[in-house]
Amino acid sequence: MIRGLYTAAAGMIAEQRRHDTVTNNVANLNTPGYKGVNSVNRAFPEMLISLMGSPDDTKGTIGKLNTGVFAEESLINLGQGDLNETGRSQDLALVSDILVNGQAFDGSGKYVDANGNVSYQPQALFTVQNANGERRYTRDGGFRATADGMVVTSDGMRVLGTNGQPIRVEGSWDHVQVTADGRLINKETQQPLAGNPAFLLTEVSDPNQLVREGDGKYRYAGDANGLRQVQPGERVEIKQGYLERSNVDASQSMVDMMSALRAYEANQKMVQYYDRSLDRAVNDVGRI
Amino acid sequence: MNNSIVSAAASLGALQQKLDVLADNIANVNTKGYKRKSTVFEDILTNLQPHDKTFELPGRRTPLGFTQGWGARVVGQQIDMTQGAMQQTDSDTDLAIAGNALFEVRSGGTLDSPRAFTRQGAFQLSPTGDGDRMLTTAEGYPVVASSGGADTFVRVPGNYELVVGADGSLTARSPDGNESVALGTLRLVQVNKPELLQAVADNLYGVPSDVNVQDVVANVAASPDQPGGVAIRQGFLEESNVSLGDEMADLVNVQRAYQLSARALSSGDQMSQMAANLRA
Repeated sequence: MIRGLYTAAAGMIAEQRRHDTVTNNVANLNTPGYKGVNSVNRAFPEMLISLMGSPDDTKGTIGKLNTGVFAEESLINLGQGDLNETGRSQDLALVSDILVNGQAFDGSGKYVDANGNVSYQPQALFTVQNANGERRYTRDGGFRATADGMVVTSDGMRVLGTNGQPIRVEGSWDHVQVTADGRLINKETQQPLAGNPAFLLTEVSDPNQLVREGDGKYRYAGDANGLRQVQPGERVEIKQGYLERSNVDASQSMVDMMSALRAYEANQKMVQYYDRSLDRAVNDVGRI
Repeated sequence: MNNSIVSAAASLGALQQKLDVLADNIANVNTKGYKRKSTVFEDILTNLQPHDKTFELPGRRTPLGFTQGWGARVVGQQIDMTQGAMQQTDSDTDLAIAGNALFEVRSGGTLDSPRAFTRQGAFQLSPTGDGDRMLTTAEGYPVVASSGGADTFVRVPGNYELVVGADGSLTARSPDGNESVALGTLRLVQVNKPELLQAVADNLYGVPSDVNVQDVVANVAASPDQPGGVAIRQGFLEESNVSLGDEMADLVNVQRAYQLSARALSSGDQMSQMAANLRA
């Protein structure tokens, strides 16, 4: 009896988490480079229940039972977002569609083979440096320049070049062209800028190892072998004058939100039913 | 406790700010020399709810921990400095710039007052009281020229008319056309870091006091002969570069996003209500 009460309460909390996640996605419908998040639930470990006090213990087994659910992980959907033309020369959108032999990925970058094994598409991201000098990764290419010419993200993190150093551009960006493979060249002469700068694009082989930190940045938590610089010939392209829109689907979010709300309500009702049953047991059984 | 309500409220605030900027753009669709502004969004710092080692279960795809975002916020505004369309007015004091440059004015009316910049070339000649007339913006800020390497204001004697060359050279010509006085060259600045310009009142741009002006703008000479060079057109005005179609599309987008966030807020509220009514 009491067991079910806690199961329903756990369900309420898990649905609340799902609702929070969807709300955060909806809130970021207009955030460039934002990637939608799904909250994945897991059942509490199964337990075996058996009849107590039975003369023959082997026959007393009733079966297995899960006593609840919890929000286990927040899975980032790193699928490509739409491109939005801005015409601004420091707005860079990354188009990443890295091929892996024998795997046809769907729009969210997932592939399920005939045996049900799931694999995820490697993703390319811009590499930036936070205030502590640690590397972070982002898909938000709405960069700007500081007074001394450093290329920074909208919240001020420096953007790294292929030499591992922050990229710096002297003077105006009017004459700077960013090529599809991330090199910075002079628009008129087509010659590389001083120092031959190029954006460092990092390929993450398992995007699930990216941990969201906010402000559009991700931290890599996997092992170092999973990271490498994007190689020429891979299907990764920078488009100058464009921004990648958020990849959140508004209508899907609306549906998810309503279903989370109703599932929450159903769990709430279960708690109330248990409460009523307990009420009967406590107050009515044995009443004369 | 209820994160949905917090994130939805944060994003409603951010969308409201975007709407304000859109309204500002639409209001200035006919302001000469106006440059459209856009808002930049970012998701708010995420916190990580730690998980202990026992959460490392088969089938889990992500590192330990559950991330939680808190909505979106506006991190800044950008000025879109693209060229606006030229409109012919045939007025001598209407000047338009083709190319990346701004006129310079003095916000205090004297040469040592702070520098300010504008694209709005709807100037006028204001009487100075001693018979001369000074070139100012419609709001009365004097326009800066350089003459012999020094900054000056443009003073046109008596009933002379002002002639502005494509290279920004200023000449005052007598009504009979026989006499002309050189008044120097219009001061033009090129914007190197548009993101550091600050829109202030009266369609002027300034540079924040903690930033070195030289880092943001640099003096530039008009180069009408070069392709894509800066040129001055007398008798023209530059239209606003706001495109009503784009702004309306953005408006619809923002309005729907606002509605969706408002739905998320009320749905979060319903959940709180259900929790409160558990024991009805």
